[in-house]
Amino acid sequence: MKNKGKEQLIAWGFMAPALIVLAAFGLFPIGYAFYVSLHRWRIKQEALIGLEHYVRALGDPQFFAYFLLGLISIWAASRWFGRRRWRHRRSLVSVVVYALLCAVALWLMSLGLPGMLESGDGRLYNGFKVTFFYALGTIPVQLTVAMMLACVLFNSWRGKGFFRVLFFLPYVTPVIASAVVFRTIFSPHPSSLANRFWAILGMEEQRWLYENKSVVFLALEGLGVSSCPAWVNEWFPSLALVSIILYNIWVYIGYDTVILLAGLSAIPAHYYEAAEIDGAGSWQVFRHITLPLVSPTLFFLSMVAVIGTFKAFNHIYIMRTPGARDTVDVLSIAIFDQLFEHHDAGYAACLAFILFVAILALTLLQNRALGKRVFYGE
Amino acid sequence: MASEKGPPKWTRWGSYAGLVLGGIAACIPFVWMLLASFMTRGETLRKVFVPAEMQWENYLLAWREADFGLYFENSLIIAVVQVGGTLLFSLMAAYPLARMQFRGRDAVFACILATLMIPETVTMVPNFLTITWLHRQSPFAWLDSWPALTVPFMASAFCIFLLRQFLRALPGDLWEAARIDGAGHVRFLFQIVLPLCRAPLLTVGMFTFIGSWNALAWPLLVTYTSKWRPISVGLQQFVSEAGAEVHLQMAGAVIATFPVLLAYFLIQREFTEGISMSGLKG
Amino acid sequence: MGVANYAKPKSSVSRCRRGAVVVKGIFLNDFLIMSLLIFLLVLGACGQNGEPVPDGTVDLEEVDPRGQEVTFWYQHTRQREEALLELIEEFNQKNPHRIQVRGEYAGGYGDIYNKMLVALQGGGIPQIVVAYQNQALAYYHADGIVDLTPYIYSPKWGLAEALEKDFIQSFVAQDRVGGIQVGFPPNRSMEILYYNADWLRELGYEGPPQNWAAFAEMCRKASLQPFSRAAKKDRSMGFLLEPDASRLASMVFSRGGDFMNPAGTAYTLNTPQARAALELMQDLVRSGAAGLVGEPYADQTDFSLGQVLFALRSSSGLPNFKSGVEEEGVGFEWKVTTLPHEGSEPVVNVYGASVSVCRSTPAQQLAAWLFLRWFTESAQQARWVRASNYFPVRKSTARDLKDYFGENPHYEAAYQLLDYGRSEPSVAGYQQVRRLIGDAMVEILDGAAPAAVLSRLEREANKTLVNP
Repeated sequence: MKNKGKEQLIAWGFMAPALIVLAAFGLFPIGYAFYVSLHRWRIKQEALIGLEHYVRALGDPQFFAYFLLGLISIWAASRWFGRRRWRHRRSLVSVVVYALLCAVALWLMSLGLPGMLESGDGRLYNGFKVTFFYALGTIPVQLTVAMMLACVLFNSWRGKGFFRVLFFLPYVTPVIASAVVFRTIFSPHPSSLANRFWAILGMEEQRWLYENKSVVFLALEGLGVSSCPAWVNEWFPSLALVSIILYNIWVYIGYDTVILLAGLSAIPAHYYEAAEIDGAGSWQVFRHITLPLVSPTLFFLSMVAVIGTFKAFNHIYIMRTPGARDTVDVLSIAIFDQLFEHHDAGYAACLAFILFVAILALTLLQNRALGKRVFYGE
Repeated sequence: MASEKGPPKWTRWGSYAGLVLGGIAACIPFVWMLLASFMTRGETLRKVFVPAEMQWENYLLAWREADFGLYFENSLIIAVVQVGGTLLFSLMAAYPLARMQFRGRDAVFACILATLMIPETVTMVPNFLTITWLHRQSPFAWLDSWPALTVPFMASAFCIFLLRQFLRALPGDLWEAARIDGAGHVRFLFQIVLPLCRAPLLTVGMFTFIGSWNALAWPLLVTYTSKWRPISVGLQQFVSEAGAEVHLQMAGAVIATFPVLLAYFLIQREFTEGISMSGLKG
Repeated sequence: MGVANYAKPKSSVSRCRRGAVVVKGIFLNDFLIMSLLIFLLVLGACGQNGEPVPDGTVDLEEVDPRGQEVTFWYQHTRQREEALLELIEEFNQKNPHRIQVRGEYAGGYGDIYNKMLVALQGGGIPQIVVAYQNQALAYYHADGIVDLTPYIYSPKWGLAEALEKDFIQSFVAQDRVGGIQVGFPPNRSMEILYYNADWLRELGYEGPPQNWAAFAEMCRKASLQPFSRAAKKDRSMGFLLEPDASRLASMVFSRGGDFMNPAGTAYTLNTPQARAALELMQDLVRSGAAGLVGEPYADQTDFSLGQVLFALRSSSGLPNFKSGVEEEGVGFEWKVTTLPHEGSEPVVNVYGASVSVCRSTPAQQLAAWLFLRWFTESAQQARWVRASNYFPVRKSTARDLKDYFGENPHYEAAYQLLDYGRSEPSVAGYQQVRRLIGDAMVEILDGAAPAAVLSRLEREANKTLVNP
């Protein structure tokens, strides 16, 4: 017993420096942000106003309550369906309950969401929308391409080290440098690199980072469809955002490739040998050996990427242009504007706290949804 | 995935073509940066692609005008202190989390991971307040000195996570053997585990180094004079002030990128090894 | 597929498993503990409040500034910084009170503003800081800077007489908001029209446009008839417009309009002048005679390459235009003038950052003021003008600048326009409104109806005035 106490002491002693630093500079800001968000707080602290900022941001509490209830029922449904008892024998009852819960959730959310959008802060929801486009545009492409590159590199014969350095180049370049380069490449000037390349393909010159119209709108316009409904611009990412997405992909493909390559090199060779004896085709090998065994790495990378997209700031800040208007303003940009342009620290802190909760919720969700499919061995 | 015995030739050529294409795509912005750094201002205005004559003096000009020498030195000191501190603290924290039993272990780990999820925009103001508070309380300077630039980053959730994954994978008999020899946790960690951690530590160190070298908003906030200002701030200042002088900007960018590239190039083998040794493997 | 069986346990694989499961399970179970921890941290945070700033009710005449040290945050770099540091050094050596000023580059305007906002909460503000009027006002509301009026009118330390006789009134007035002098003005410049005189002659015009209709006509002609010495003939335009509030302000001022009502209580952005200005631009863009500035300094660059006839920019850019056209560009005769105007007299948009004195001890505040007073004296201003290309704050400085005028006729041309100066709003929320204006300009140039966009803009802008 005494020995155990000593163990505890040693453990905490070891962790103490790191914990102090993380508590002071990692956790304290979360608490502080919440504290600030409850106040009217411009440059200095003013009156305590409770949840007023949250109402201003999210909209009418009644609608938010509906939305929250909807989320809870989804969570309940997944819990219900995921229970061990039902794992192997999913009875009709369980399916019905599941379907019912889902229906209720959808109904509640459809009740709440329009109201929230109507009465809440447009910039917050725009921020969510842009962040969503941004994540959707970057993560799948990035991971797919990186996976392909890693597989090819893994099997390739020479020059592995060379390519490894080459692909990693964008990641080690200071953001200011590479973002400035991209800003020049994707400028609307007719002689910018992007426009010259576009001209080689025989396309009309584009405004790239200055373009606030959605890519779909531009494509339709290019095809000769002259009158597009407004929602085409609303519900697709703008060309400016796509340019920034390209930058993000460019930066992180190398990083993902290098880490995936390491994941691949850790797969024991005897799996492949056995597969070869069995005469499995290369696709089968990929599908049944490589993919499952590398899935924890993929999962880790996707988690880092999701958190990364929500935190993305520096390069967007450098590459945002007046022409793009609010179509590239992800949440952290909106927060920055609130803080330093509107000097409203209280409201900025409120948005920040909402962002934190959103990231937390999403990570949890990702854990539940994807975590199960990841193969960690039996 | 191709097995050893000859995949069809076209696949092989196809993959090579893919690699080269990917390589070119990864390089173009870089090549552009390099080329632009050798141009005259007139050439950047006309947006030619290749300079007629290499203007080496751009580098000299950029180096002198932006006071890169001093910034370079600052960045190097900051990076060394930060990498050293991060490695030590993260390893010390990862060890009990990976290999010891104590109450609240998972809770601690959850808290550590939670710190990953906050954008810098959020942490900046409260952290500045903390630093100024420390600055006033402690006998030595924090603001405009190395502690403010390094201490807040001396423990990183990401590093702790990676090292913990690695330490988990160490065989259990190591500890048994060490204990029979009469070693405690401290000796075990620093004499037996540490030498085994070379590759993962280098990896984590590399990530920390990149982060430290490229950090921008925070150093600008906590430095008042050029005495401790790192190179990223110097570059940013140079980029925003040099206005239309793209050639000098790019020369500055190349200068600022070079050390990181060199560092990565030197340890890239250990880097890959380090990643595959931590828990990220399949 | 039988292949799946190969992915069966090997010790190396199963070892990671525990780690993964823990990562998966932790959050929900331990969320409570974490929340508790955060709560405790919040409690800790509550105790940490800023201490009250001492009120300056001391008699100014009695304050002794001797031996004070003050820090000056500025945004200048390169030759401007060098010149400023030289001036500071001279002040430090010569001033009778042995005041020591330390100049420090603190980033660009935005960086300084961010640093100030943060430092106002945590401490560490300098004693002198560069700020735009709206920024200074924000500092003032947060009790970060002092009203300079008592210093100006102090019998012992002031310069009331010079202010009345010698200072350019509009400069000083710009920094006086609601009777409070939030700053002092050594960094002024104005918006002027740069034009390619050779090209204009080729197009058959004697001089620059006197009104906007003539301006539009020249732009259209320029888009059809490229400059003979242009770097590339395939792109030829009259004008590149930057979607920036100051550009719109210049155009509106030149048409006799303004951004705010005379009392300064409400924005007037949906005026006939604003509509006319943007309708004209929209029309020019539509016909290809004008375009949007697509990358930083594109207008300046294309101007120096002979591809754009006019450029609208700050007079502080004169040296850049000079070196751009004469050294790196295609080389031609270029000139500056006022914007086209509708009334009989031109109106130019004068702007620029000022220098504010931060709240500190009475002695330090006075020391900071004494430096400012010295810095705005005629001799120092003459030196500052040569290095910075800003306008001097005193009329008498012009006497010392004869030779400079001779070498820089463009600068003199701009200097002569100072009498026609007018300034943009200096209310606290103007920074925010600038962003809104920029957005509206893009929207209109993209083809939206000006009246609708501007009426929305005006509504949104006035919303920022409700809570100051």
